[in-house]
Amino acid sequence: MLQYSIKRIVMAIPVVIFISFIVFYIIQLPPGDYVSSYSAQMTAAGEIMTQDDMDQMRANLGLDRPVYEQYAIWIKKIVFEGDFGYSFNYNKPVIDVVKQYMGLTLVVSIVTMLFQYLVAIPIGIYTAVKQYSAGDYFFSGLSFLGMATPNFLLAIILMYFSYTWFGDPLLGLFSDEYVNAAWSWDKVVDLLKHLVIPVIVIGLASTADLIRVMRGQMLDELNKPNVVTARSKGLSETKILFKYPTRAALNPIVSTFGWSLSSIFTGSTITAIVLNLPIQGPVMYKALLGQDMYLAGSWLLFMALLTVLGTLISDILLAWLDPKIRTEFRGN
Amino acid sequence: MKRSRGFMIALVSMVVFVTGCFGGNNAETSKESKAVESQKPKEAAVAPGEAGGGKEAPMLAELVKAGKLPPLEERLPVASDIMIEPVVEEIGQFGGDWNMSWKGPADKWGVGMINEEALFRFNKEGKAVEPNVAKGYEVNDDSTVFTIHLREGMKWSDGMPFTADDVLFYWEHMLTKETFGKKIYDAYYSVDPVTGDKALAEVKKVDDYTFTVTHKYPSVQFLERVAIDNKWFFAPAHFHKTILPEFVGDAKTLEITKQWGYEDPKQFLVETGYYFWLHPEIPTLAAWVAKTDANSEQFVMERNPYYWKTDSEGNQLPYMDRIIENQIQDPSQQLLGTLAGKYNFATFDTANFTVLKENEKKGDFRVIPWTQPTWSSAGVQLNQTTKDPNLSKLFQDIRFREALSIGVNRQVVTDIVTSGLGEPIQASVPEGVIGYQEGWAQHWAEFEPERANQLLDEIGLTKRDKNNFRMFPDGSDLTLTVFESDTNKSAFLELLKKYYEDMGLKMNVKMVEGGALFDLKYANEVPIHTENISVANVAFRPDTMVPLRIITPWFGHYGLYTQSGGTEGVKPEGDVAAILDNWNKIKASKSKEEIDQLANEIYKLHMKNQWVIGYAGPTPMLLVASNKLRNIPEGLVWADEYRTVGHAHPAQFFLKQ
Repeated sequence: MLQYSIKRIVMAIPVVIFISFIVFYIIQLPPGDYVSSYSAQMTAAGEIMTQDDMDQMRANLGLDRPVYEQYAIWIKKIVFEGDFGYSFNYNKPVIDVVKQYMGLTLVVSIVTMLFQYLVAIPIGIYTAVKQYSAGDYFFSGLSFLGMATPNFLLAIILMYFSYTWFGDPLLGLFSDEYVNAAWSWDKVVDLLKHLVIPVIVIGLASTADLIRVMRGQMLDELNKPNVVTARSKGLSETKILFKYPTRAALNPIVSTFGWSLSSIFTGSTITAIVLNLPIQGPVMYKALLGQDMYLAGSWLLFMALLTVLGTLISDILLAWLDPKIRTEFRGN
Repeated sequence: MKRSRGFMIALVSMVVFVTGCFGGNNAETSKESKAVESQKPKEAAVAPGEAGGGKEAPMLAELVKAGKLPPLEERLPVASDIMIEPVVEEIGQFGGDWNMSWKGPADKWGVGMINEEALFRFNKEGKAVEPNVAKGYEVNDDSTVFTIHLREGMKWSDGMPFTADDVLFYWEHMLTKETFGKKIYDAYYSVDPVTGDKALAEVKKVDDYTFTVTHKYPSVQFLERVAIDNKWFFAPAHFHKTILPEFVGDAKTLEITKQWGYEDPKQFLVETGYYFWLHPEIPTLAAWVAKTDANSEQFVMERNPYYWKTDSEGNQLPYMDRIIENQIQDPSQQLLGTLAGKYNFATFDTANFTVLKENEKKGDFRVIPWTQPTWSSAGVQLNQTTKDPNLSKLFQDIRFREALSIGVNRQVVTDIVTSGLGEPIQASVPEGVIGYQEGWAQHWAEFEPERANQLLDEIGLTKRDKNNFRMFPDGSDLTLTVFESDTNKSAFLELLKKYYEDMGLKMNVKMVEGGALFDLKYANEVPIHTENISVANVAFRPDTMVPLRIITPWFGHYGLYTQSGGTEGVKPEGDVAAILDNWNKIKASKSKEEIDQLANEIYKLHMKNQWVIGYAGPTPMLLVASNKLRNIPEGLVWADEYRTVGHAHPAQFFLKQ
C-alpha cells in the first residue's frame, strides 16, 4: 500500500505542473488585464486615468512583459522562494491575503462539514431502517427540498426572517462591535450566533444529498447475507446495524470526502457573497473579476492541488476502511 | 464499530490541527485591533463644555489629562488663523461613530472624498472656490502671480507643523518628479493665447506661511483648476523624506517597500503619495485619520486631535469620534444594513427610492435628495469616429441623431427606468447646474415616429433587407451595436431596441465586463454606449464634453487626435472643432466673464448637436441618514468635482442624543 501511495504521489507531480500551466493560460484569456479593470473602477469613481497613467502602472506591475515571461517568473518564485506573487487588489503578497481569510474560512467550512455528517448519517440510517415510515417520508421530503433549493435563495429567505423577527439580518460573521475586538467569550458567542444561518445554508444541499446516499446504501446493505447470518446467530439489532451495513454504507461518503477538501479551504462563494461572509470564496471571485492574476492563479493552483491531494486521501481512507478493497491491493 | 470510531477521532483531530495552524494568525490580527479597541471612546456623548472646561472631544480631553496629548490651544493654529466652519442646523455634540459601508479599498474615493481637505474648496453654489487649508490668497491684475497664505500654527495629524515647506516639498520632490504615478496636472500649465505655448508654473516660498505660484501667461482659473485637479497641493515632507528614493536611496526605498508588504517601489509610492488617506502611518490634515488596515472587515478612522477647524463657539471639530466603514460584498447589503439601522449614513440612486421611503419611519432615517449634474438617466452616446466609415458618416449626420431622438417614446422609458421619478426629457444640463440652457430639455424630445422615419428616408436609408431592416445605400448591413457592462441597463436597452427596430434600425446589445469595455473604448471599438455625462462645470473639468483625450465614447478618436498633437486619431471638424477652439480660448482667457461666455458656447454646441441623446431625465442622488445624524444640508449638487458628500462638510455632522 505504501508503494502504491508513493506511485500515486509521483504521478501527481506532472499533473500539477500541467495544471499550473493551464491555470496561467486561462487567467490570461479574458480581454484586458488588472490595469484596465482597475482603471475602469477608478474612472467610475471620478478619477481621470490617462493612457500614460495606465502604461506606467502596467510597467510598475510587470504586466507589459510577455505572458511566458510572467509565467516563468511566477513559477520560479513559487518553487525557489515559496512566494506566490503579489495581489494587486490588496497590495499585499498573495500568501498574506490567503492567511487573512483562512481562519474564518476553516471555521465556517469545518463547522458546516460536521453539521452535514452529524445530521445526515443518523438520519440516513434512520430513514433506511424505518423505510416507508412517517419519519422516512418526512425526512425524504425535506431532503428533496434541500437538494432542490438554491443556497443563495435560502440565504435570502433566512435573512428576511431574521430581519423581520429580530430586526437584524445577521450579515457577516460578527456584530459590528466585535469585528475588530480581541477574542473573548462574548465574541465566540456572537460568532456562533452568526454561524447558524451560513452553516444551514451552505450545508443544506450536501446534507440532503448525503441523506439520500446514506439511505440508498443502507437499503442495499440491510438485506445482504452477512446481515441475515448475523441476525440468525442472535446478535443484537444495534450491533448488527453498526457492525455491518453502516460500515459498508459509509464507503461512498468516505470516497467523496477527499473531494470536499478544496471546498473546505475555499468555502462557498455565492452564499458567502449574499451573506457577506469574510471567507475565501468571495476573495477568489473578486480576484477573478478584477483580473488580480497572481491571487486568482495561486488560488486555482491551490484548489487543483487540493483536489489531487483529496483524491489521494480518499483512496487511502477507503483502503483503510473497507477490508475488501484492502484485500484487492494485497492480491495485486 | 471500533474502526469507524477511530475514523471519527482522526477527523476531529485533523480539524483541531488545521484550525490550530491558522488560528495563530488570527490572534495576531486581533491583537492589532485590540490597540484600536482600547482607544474606543466612551459611548456617552458629552455636550461641549461639560468635559471640564475644554472645548474638545471628551476622548481627547482624557488624553490631555493623562499627559499623552498637548492641550487644545497648542494643537490648534493661532487664534486668528483657526478656520471656523459654519454649522448647517445647530452647534453639535461630541462623540459617536459615523457608520457606513464600503466595498473595501476599491472604494477608496468613497471614503477619500468625504474626508478630504483641499487647499481651496468649492463654495456651496459651486461657482467659485473659497479658502480651506489656505487662509487666503492675493492675485495680481493679469492673473499670473498667486500669493497664497497658510494658517500659522496649523499641524499635521501627528503634531508636526504644517508650513509652506510642505507645499514646496510636494511641488519639488513629488509632483514635478511625478513620483506618485500622475503626470503634472494641467492646472499648473499656463497657455499663451497667441502661440499656444504651454509653460509650467513656478512655485516659491515667501515665508513659513506664504508661497507664490507664478505663471508665465495669465491663468484666471488657476485656483479652481487646482481645486479640481490637485486638491491637496501639499504633502507631509517629514514623512515622505523617510521613504522617497531621492532622500533615502533606491535600495532603502525598496527595503521599506518590502517592509510595508508592497512589491514594487513605484507602486508603493503611488499608494503612499496619492492614496495616502488609507494608511495609518501617513499624517494628514483631514478630520479623521486611518487607524486600521483598509483591507480588514472594518476600516476605522479616528478623529484627528490636531484638526484645525472649530465651530463658531470654539469647539474643535469634528464632532463625531470615528468613521467606521464596514466592508460589504454586494450593494444590496448596504440597503439591508441601512433598513436595519446598522449604518447611520448611506447614499443610493433612485432605484431604491420606494423601499427607502416605505421604511423611513421604521428604520428611523430620512432621505435627503441632492441634485446630480447628470444629463440623463438613460441615454446613448454615438461615437462620431467609430471605425466603420458608413456608420461614422451616419452618426455625424445631425438628421440621424434627431431621428434616433424623436423615434423613442420618452414617457415610457422614463416611467420604466426611473419609476416615474425622472422627467421625459432630452439629455441636457439640469436646472440649477452651471450650463443650463432654456429649451434644451425639450430639444427633439417629442415622440414623432413618422417624422423620424421620414428623416431616415431623407438620409438615404431607404433600402430594406429581408427582415425589413434598413440598409446602407450601398446595400451593406446596418446594425447599431450598443456595448454595455451594466446589467441594470437591460430594461432600458430592451425598450430602445423596440423603438429603434420600429424605425427599421437593427440594434444589438453586447454585454462585456467593465475592464474589457474600458479597453474597447480606448481601442475605439465602441460605436454606441450608454455612459452618462455628469459635469458640474465644463470650464473646470472639460474631459467628457471636450475631446481632449480618449475617455468618453461620443468623441472617440477625436480625443486621440488632440492628445497626440495631431499625429494619431481623427481630425475634429465642424462643431467638434469649434468646441476645441472654445476650450483653447478658455485656457488662455484673461477674465472670468469671458470664460463663462466661452463655456456657455460649448454647452450650446452640445445642445445643437446632441451627440449624447437622452431618453429619461436625471434623478437625484439620495442621501440616507439616521434621524440622529444632524447638520446634513439639503439640496446641494452631488458632483465628483465638489467631492460628493464632502461638499456638506462632514466635520460638522453630529449625532444628536
